[in-house]
Amino acid sequence: MVDALISDEAFIKGCAAVGAGLAVGLAGIGAGAGESGIGAAAVGAIAEDRGFLGLGLLFTVIPETIVIFGLVISFILMFAYG
Amino acid sequence: MLKPEKMVKISVVGPKERLEYASEILHKVNLLHIEDPKEAEHFRIGEPLEKASIISRTLVQLRSYISYLKIDPGRIAPKRKYRSKEIEEMLSRKLEEYQEQIGTKIEENRSIDEKIRSLEDELRIIEPLKVLGIPSRLLKGYKNLRCFVGFVKENPVDELSKITDKFDAVIKEYEKELLVAIFVKAEYGDEFFRTLQAYGYRELPVPDIEDYDARINEIEREKEELLNRKKQLETEIEEIKVKEADLLLAIEEYLSTELDKSELPLRALVSKYTFVIVGYVPAKQLDRFKSEVEKGGKIVVEVIEEEEEGVPPTKLSNPAVIRDYELLTTTYATPKYKEIDPTAIMAIFFTIFFGMMLGDMGYGLLITILALYLKKIFRTEGWQKLLNIAVYCGISSIIFGFIYGEFFGPFIIPGMEEPSKVHFLGDALSALYTFNHHHPLFDRVEEFGVKALLFIVLLIGMIKMLWGFALGFYNVYVEHGMKEAIYEKGCWFIGVLGLVMLIFGFSYNLGIFTSPPEEGFGKLLPDNLYILGSYTVEEGRAVPLPIPGLVDGWQAGVNIFYLLALPLLIVWFVIFLKAEIPKMGIFGIIMAVELLTWFGQIISYARLLAIGLSSVYIAFVINYLSIKIGTPPGMALLPVAVILLIIGHAGNLLLGILDPGLQSLRLHYVEFFTKFFEGGGKEYSPFGRVKKFLED
Repeated sequence: MVDALISDEAFIKGCAAVGAGLAVGLAGIGAGAGESGIGAAAVGAIAEDRGFLGLGLLFTVIPETIVIFGLVISFILMFAYG
Repeated sequence: MLKPEKMVKISVVGPKERLEYASEILHKVNLLHIEDPKEAEHFRIGEPLEKASIISRTLVQLRSYISYLKIDPGRIAPKRKYRSKEIEEMLSRKLEEYQEQIGTKIEENRSIDEKIRSLEDELRIIEPLKVLGIPSRLLKGYKNLRCFVGFVKENPVDELSKITDKFDAVIKEYEKELLVAIFVKAEYGDEFFRTLQAYGYRELPVPDIEDYDARINEIEREKEELLNRKKQLETEIEEIKVKEADLLLAIEEYLSTELDKSELPLRALVSKYTFVIVGYVPAKQLDRFKSEVEKGGKIVVEVIEEEEEGVPPTKLSNPAVIRDYELLTTTYATPKYKEIDPTAIMAIFFTIFFGMMLGDMGYGLLITILALYLKKIFRTEGWQKLLNIAVYCGISSIIFGFIYGEFFGPFIIPGMEEPSKVHFLGDALSALYTFNHHHPLFDRVEEFGVKALLFIVLLIGMIKMLWGFALGFYNVYVEHGMKEAIYEKGCWFIGVLGLVMLIFGFSYNLGIFTSPPEEGFGKLLPDNLYILGSYTVEEGRAVPLPIPGLVDGWQAGVNIFYLLALPLLIVWFVIFLKAEIPKMGIFGIIMAVELLTWFGQIISYARLLAIGLSSVYIAFVINYLSIKIGTPPGMALLPVAVILLIIGHAGNLLLGILDPGLQSLRLHYVEFFTKFFEGGGKEYSPFGRVKKFLED
């Protein structure tokens, strides 16, 4: 079916692009889920003590690494097939 | 620079009657970090000097004035400083004066508030009665009648008429409630009361007032008079605040100083005839300290030879520029006395990372200007330090912006040739780089730029990872000896080095070190660093990960980096087992998975590229859209384009300050500090006080 409509190369390229998008998007959702809990707790802590602001912000960005992993994967996909 | 300042443990000894003098002189030199004393056989903790209780009482009163006047010492730069002698002379006179001026005003203000409140209470009763329209003498004072005046939630008449119909009710609506006056024979009184309670009855106490309107007017008049007086008091207080703020704060400082001194005995050990104070002094200042303290005679400073248990306080010692970054280090933790102080490393890399991520001349310029302006407004020490860091980061962004060729966004986008179509200053920027064929020095928007930068930031990651473990090795070695250091940190250093070699081997097979740009960095290494037979990168590329059994022809991929990685990983694993198995048993092997964490942390440095790219593309989209909207055929929408440009870049700048700042901080706290930095040191806080409102 697919062969008849588009070439193999184009199909692979397309799949790689979709994969790259999914890698960043899903990783973003995961990081967001992680940050939501930390963010809520951090805001609570900051409400108690303003001095916690810096540390609270810092804790909040910790799960962002996950997105970076996703991004690296998408880069690799785009370099290899894009 | 990398170590906290060296401290010497000393004792100050003298006869007991000289303790007061000792407190004077120690406070003046402001160098001795006093260690809290432990009582021993003949030595007890001393008692505060007699004057302490009087001083602290006066101080409490004075501080209440200061807080009442809302004087913030952090925001006031004194116009004139006072000498301690001056203050001493005028102290009692001034305190009396303040008691008279401020104290009585506070009192008066408070009584005015009270009067106003009681007037308002009265008003709250009279106003409903006025609405009811029945004079107060008709509402009370009956012998055979009972009269209910008050609020109810719903109309109770139906329910009341079930008890008896011989009653009279006046009902008015008042602020969403019903106001009732009910007259009934005294014998039904209790029953009526119970029924009314079911309707949420709230009684209104009826005052003895003939004319409601006259009384209301009277109250309003009184209230206005009181409010006027209050306003007058406030202006008077404001005048005092302007006139006396410096002196008030100077007196506060003087009294706090005196209190510190008179409470010194609480931190000293006292026997029948002598006193001892133990503490730390920076080694560099020891001579000055000794001569100053011993100058007055009868007091001796003695150096105590370091025993095992002493924990000296940490005084970070860094050159001027780097000192600003101590703020960031101490937010994480105060280094222990023997630990490495990472402030200097952080100062350099934090600034570079920030610039690398933001990398835009326009944003950098704005940050620098903004920070320099804010420095004039926020004068407290913490803000000054933070804003200094912002200035350095701004400058770093300008430098990287020049390298990347970005000024509020890039002017070259692959696939869009003309700079004037993607950037509102495209042609000017393009002209700026005439010396480099109209191209920026390093283009991170184009594909090769992204690839190259990705490799560069991962390289930085690997170096910092290894550096962190090396520093950790040193810290553990100083504290626990060589064996622990090898087990705890050296082992991971070797493991990560093996990992780095694997990454290099992989990259080599991809041709990063041998191929010309687009594929790699050019010919940095020979083409044939292969071990098992004579292969070239071309053949190695088929098997970037040569795992025997998994890939056919794996021999082609085994290069020298993989060969180096093998023994390193074996050595790591052996040391790791020797360290973990005795502690954790056979399941300790599972902990070897931790090596993957370090791999993840190296990858995590990719954010240096990623954060920057996102802000570049946001800037590009803003520029592109506003050019599309603002140039013909849509010329009419030029104002919209300008607004979009300004708001868009302002938002992007905000993200551009917050995100690179936080991520750069995080790369240090999470990926770097955890390898070597434990913290938990005591901060050096010498006995004494930096004078702000007093003169020497």
